[in-house]
Amino acid sequence: MNRSALLLWLDRIIAMTIKELKQLIRDPVLLLIIAYFFTADVYMAASGVTLNLHNAPIMVIDHNHSSASRELIYRFREPYFDFKGEISNKNEAENLLNTGKIVAVLDIPENFQSFLFQGKQAAVQFQVDTSNTTLGTLASGYATEITNDFGQDFVNKRLGLTDEQMDAAPVIQNRYRVLYNPNRIDSWFMSISELMTVITMLSMMLPAAAAVREKERGTIEQLAVSPLSSLQILLPKVISMGLVILLGVAFCLFVIIIPVFHLPIKGSIGLFFAITALYVFSASGIGLFIATISHTLAEVTLLVILLLFPLVLLSGAWTPPEAMPPVIRWVMTISPLYYYTEMSNAILLKGAGINIIWGSLTGLTALGGIFFFFGVWRFRRQFG
Amino acid sequence: MGETTLVSGQAVIKISGLCKSYKKKLAVDTVALTVKRGEIYGLIGPDGAGKSSLMKTIAGVMSFEQGSLEVFDVNVDSEAAAEKIKGRLGFMPQGLGLNLYGDLSVEENIDFFAQLRQVSPQQLAERKEKLLTMTWLDKFRDRPMKNLSGGMKQKLGLICTLIHEPELVILDEPTTGVDPISRRNFWAILAELLREHGITALISTAYMDEAARFHRLSLMFNGQILTSGEPDVICQQAQGYLVQLTAEPQLEALKLLKVRYPQIETIGSRIRVFVNNISPDEALKAVSGQLIGVEIKNIQVFDTYLEDAFINLLRKDPLADQSIKEAIIPCFDNPLPDNQGIAIEAKQLTRDFGKFRSVDHINFSVRQGEIFGLLGANGAGKTTAIKMLTGILPPSSGEGTVAGADMRFAGQLIKERIGYMSQAFSLYHDLTVMENIRLYASIYGINRKIIKQRLAWVMQIAGLAGVSGQLAGSLPMGIRQRLALGCALVHQPVVLFLDEPTSGVDPVGRRHFWDILVHLARVEHVAILVTTHYMSEAERCDHLALMHAGRVIADDSPANMIQALQNEAGQMLKITTDSPSEALSCLEQANIKGSGLYGRHIQLLALDTETVENQIRVLLEKHSIKLISLEARPPTLEDVFVYRVLELENRDQA
Amino acid sequence: MNLTRVWAVAYKEWREILRDRLFFTMAFMLPTVIFLLLGYGISFDVEKIPFAALDQDRTAMSRDFLHRFIDSRYFDYKGDVSSDRYLDPLLAHSDIRFAIIIPPRFQERLLAGQSASVQSLIDGVFPYRAEVAKGYVSAIIANFNAQSLARHFGAQLGISREQALIQVSPVRLESRYLYNQALRSQWSMSSGLVMLVLMVTPPFLTALGVVREKENGSIYNIYASSITRSEFLLGKFLTYLLISCLNILILWWLVIKIFGTPFKGDPIFFYAASVIYVICTAGAGLLVSLVVRTQVAAVMLTLVISFVPAWLFSGLLVPIQSMPSAPKIESHLFPTLYYLRITWGSFLKGLGWAELWFDVAALILYAIILWVIAFLNFHKRPAE
Repeated sequence: MNRSALLLWLDRIIAMTIKELKQLIRDPVLLLIIAYFFTADVYMAASGVTLNLHNAPIMVIDHNHSSASRELIYRFREPYFDFKGEISNKNEAENLLNTGKIVAVLDIPENFQSFLFQGKQAAVQFQVDTSNTTLGTLASGYATEITNDFGQDFVNKRLGLTDEQMDAAPVIQNRYRVLYNPNRIDSWFMSISELMTVITMLSMMLPAAAAVREKERGTIEQLAVSPLSSLQILLPKVISMGLVILLGVAFCLFVIIIPVFHLPIKGSIGLFFAITALYVFSASGIGLFIATISHTLAEVTLLVILLLFPLVLLSGAWTPPEAMPPVIRWVMTISPLYYYTEMSNAILLKGAGINIIWGSLTGLTALGGIFFFFGVWRFRRQFG
Repeated sequence: MGETTLVSGQAVIKISGLCKSYKKKLAVDTVALTVKRGEIYGLIGPDGAGKSSLMKTIAGVMSFEQGSLEVFDVNVDSEAAAEKIKGRLGFMPQGLGLNLYGDLSVEENIDFFAQLRQVSPQQLAERKEKLLTMTWLDKFRDRPMKNLSGGMKQKLGLICTLIHEPELVILDEPTTGVDPISRRNFWAILAELLREHGITALISTAYMDEAARFHRLSLMFNGQILTSGEPDVICQQAQGYLVQLTAEPQLEALKLLKVRYPQIETIGSRIRVFVNNISPDEALKAVSGQLIGVEIKNIQVFDTYLEDAFINLLRKDPLADQSIKEAIIPCFDNPLPDNQGIAIEAKQLTRDFGKFRSVDHINFSVRQGEIFGLLGANGAGKTTAIKMLTGILPPSSGEGTVAGADMRFAGQLIKERIGYMSQAFSLYHDLTVMENIRLYASIYGINRKIIKQRLAWVMQIAGLAGVSGQLAGSLPMGIRQRLALGCALVHQPVVLFLDEPTSGVDPVGRRHFWDILVHLARVEHVAILVTTHYMSEAERCDHLALMHAGRVIADDSPANMIQALQNEAGQMLKITTDSPSEALSCLEQANIKGSGLYGRHIQLLALDTETVENQIRVLLEKHSIKLISLEARPPTLEDVFVYRVLELENRDQA
Repeated sequence: MNLTRVWAVAYKEWREILRDRLFFTMAFMLPTVIFLLLGYGISFDVEKIPFAALDQDRTAMSRDFLHRFIDSRYFDYKGDVSSDRYLDPLLAHSDIRFAIIIPPRFQERLLAGQSASVQSLIDGVFPYRAEVAKGYVSAIIANFNAQSLARHFGAQLGISREQALIQVSPVRLESRYLYNQALRSQWSMSSGLVMLVLMVTPPFLTALGVVREKENGSIYNIYASSITRSEFLLGKFLTYLLISCLNILILWWLVIKIFGTPFKGDPIFFYAASVIYVICTAGAGLLVSLVVRTQVAAVMLTLVISFVPAWLFSGLLVPIQSMPSAPKIESHLFPTLYYLRITWGSFLKGLGWAELWFDVAALILYAIILWVIAFLNFHKRPAE
């Protein structure tokens, strides 16, 4: 390709890109929605929403009413539990559990205190709603920890052991350090995950919609008789929508995530934007491929949704990927979001450089290239 | 039409002081109008005059700001009031079948409208059969609407609007893109409904020959009504005559005439001038007097057609006059040189859609600098042929050359050299006029140094100066078509494919459009392949190919085609009587073939004119129908089209 | 209300869907496929946490301690490292999420009755996972400590190991898992996903309905005919409602047959409530269709109103009880919260009208408000 041919190629790409941007600007409602995604949506997801169980409402049936039972009940409090009061019988407990007003009921037996003083083991019942197994298990785990601590303290007090003396006991002192997010601030995780979800939605939807709109409106006919190649028709859609998305990401990062949620950026922002661009390109490739097999936006939408939800929910952006079934984990390796999630967390929170993420980077690049060129190839077969 | 007796005094639509504006732009400006029961009322006017807005307002599908609107004596001043009239009217919006459902078949579309309008199943079955047969759509009843040609979509749209036999129909350019035969059918259907049910119709049209079929009409411009009245009266308001002449040298004659007569056009070697004079003799004298030093070969005077009257009336409005003066640039009509190379050649081109053969082994060639017209009824395969030649659609078999390259192998090369304008508007609605043109300029790689100049050229040649900043989607159909032409010309292609480029464009715009085409062909030597349903336009082509059911059935120059028909079927007899429809049934009973109602007249082709004339005189006298006039004239291109296509249709059906 | 006209519109929609093969297939496949993929794939269980160990002691006791992690299903042992220098890159690269460092003289100190400190490093990028992992570590160490203490005190006080064990942990918490005794997370997930799938698929079927007709002009048929606004909206809606009602049954069947979840409630109640829920969700799509001007905007707005509430504000992922008041109020604005209670109530808790009437009432109110807004937003005689 000589110089003037290259210039012509660039000119066409630029002209088409400007066209796409202008069309976007002419749809203020759409612009508003995009702006919403990068601001209020991320803000809502990150402010106060937590996956952890906090303040789980519980009630107690205290058959003992002793100082020991009161001491135990007192320990079922924030941050894990929210003591809502006492009830007298199991029927009432069942009703409250049924309606979801409370998560668990702590049932303290009559002989609780006397057993403790007699050196017998006292059994406390903890009835927990496991219709949501995750929350049920968490609640039960916290309750066990609280009860154990109570027992331990009781023993220590009875044996007259002080904390210093505990050092002299053969126990393991657990000194844990939580890395990258020492205070386990949920908003850091939630904001990044929601941002990645938003990026995925928009990158799949916007270029695909722009492409299928040409088909629906018949404007593709005029382009098909022009000397534009398939790549010159499709690439500008990705470039323009990608620009808008990157702008949104920048806005979200610098106006919402960093100032409001105080996310520390450990790594290189430039690198983060570079891989975001690469990711947008890959996800757009999937969208464009969908656009080539659809005739209407309605079809595109349903197909995008079909891929979007599994992609977003099974790529480790929202759930711990380790616990997924092996087949799903294997399928996950062809999801660009899987690599992108890894890399953005690594760059933003762990301060990783290109030397650390190159593996994921290769994966994402390969996937992006395959998806995009497959889309262009299909498009060319239709209109070439 | 003769059945004026049906027009009772009762007003169906009463409008006064109506105003409607979009944002700041006034679309309908203090309009007053009354349409009586049983009347076919026409709205004509240039693109963007406010016809569509007015019709939507009357149909109760759009609110308005000022004035009063009464339909069926209901004061339509609110959404609830509008609901009261909707059961009694039918509305068909502008655009080729845009209101229909593409995935549904012809029959399903009709069924939906019928159910929506609560037509009983028996009535539906009866009316559907009748309307489908009338419009020749009965063969296509299972075809999805999106696979119909533009004109067939229009016909279907009409059926859907009429299926509940409304008392009032409001039709926005219903015949745009419809072929001449179907248009005749359309008017026949409407006339019949009028006769049977006393239907009232408000119709806008871009075909001036159709305007003669209205009982009364209003001419709109810039949101206002310039004049209203019966077609003849409006014609008379133009107060002038049409002088047609051939002169040598033509260019000199044009120059001389243009000084005094801005309303002038050229058709082949002929020049046609509109002259504001009181008598035909004076008109003749005035024109001859103007042509000093030019050899006048042939000169005749005619009554004005409505089209000329239309333009002339528009000129009375200073604003409109300005745009007409800008628009009409008569151009030098030099003969087509013989030595030009072949620009487009189709050899045995064929295209199948499943079992259906859309284009069947067609052959033709177009020379550089030639205007080649492709005619045919809706669905004859014209668009498919063009799509194959432009490379949008791969042919099933056959080959072709475009711009000196084989279309099978040199797709890219061809694409850079051709311009294409598709039947359906295929530019960006959400970009402005200028943005659309600029986009295509960049796509075709117009050099940055000349881009400004080129854009100005396109704006001027397509007459888009006033609207450069408007969104394409907000433009009326006619201006959109001009924009599409502009975009197709921006890279100055050597071959131009135009698929019904003037559909929905007003007469002023169309003349202007053709002046551009002639200029491009003769001066720039662009080869132009064009399809049209306007026979006046077809006459301006150098060469015509008539298609029917995918095949080319005639391929000749317009003059030769007319001559061939005259040799074969004779002259056209135009019979004017006091009650045309009765007269027609008389003729039909007497087995005088090929007669048809056309406006207030009956027309038929006759080889032995004298015998037939006498026969008719006797027949009409016997039935005591008063014969007002009976004249013979040579057939026109429209007669050729109708005759040839009907001939084959009848043979196919037999 | 004229039923012929309602039928006309509904039947036309039905024919159009039938013609669009892809759309038709997707209308049924989309919910099923998303449901199956997510049902198999999504899990909030924190299991198989990849970890590495740095054993600086290398004694029988350190190995015994380590094996408590290696043998646990919660952890996935990735190997040993020889120096803590190697741990950082492993964590940064997400090869491991957790590391445990056993100090030198671990066995020696414990046998001498002294405490030993073990350091654990936890990847805090995903705070929920870090929290749960921390809990597991604590539990393992607590268990180890109890045994170690029991051995120690047993020897000191001359009592048996078992008795000593009771002495050091005097209180035992007996958790009783209600509604899902075996803690099968697929039971809660699969039934909960019915809520998610019925929130994210029906609105996309309806979202383009009206806006498409507006874009291509066929809406004028409606404007110009005497069909009333409610007849049109109802007709437009019926087909999609029917599809979604069928989808409820399909999903229900899958929940029971594929995931083996029991259905303990009242089937008629559950179906009725589900239909009301679908009226809300599909109706939301229709409302979107009425208020926006372009199809793309309609799709994006539908994403806004469907995905976020279903995922973040329903209680499926995020415990509503743990939310601060602002997000808690937000979550009560969406129908998902109420319907999730109905699903879990019906499937796992065996509840019916008596207990869940409030949630049904909330859904009905929601549906009414939605339809009133839709009705008021649709005009047959617009200004443009």
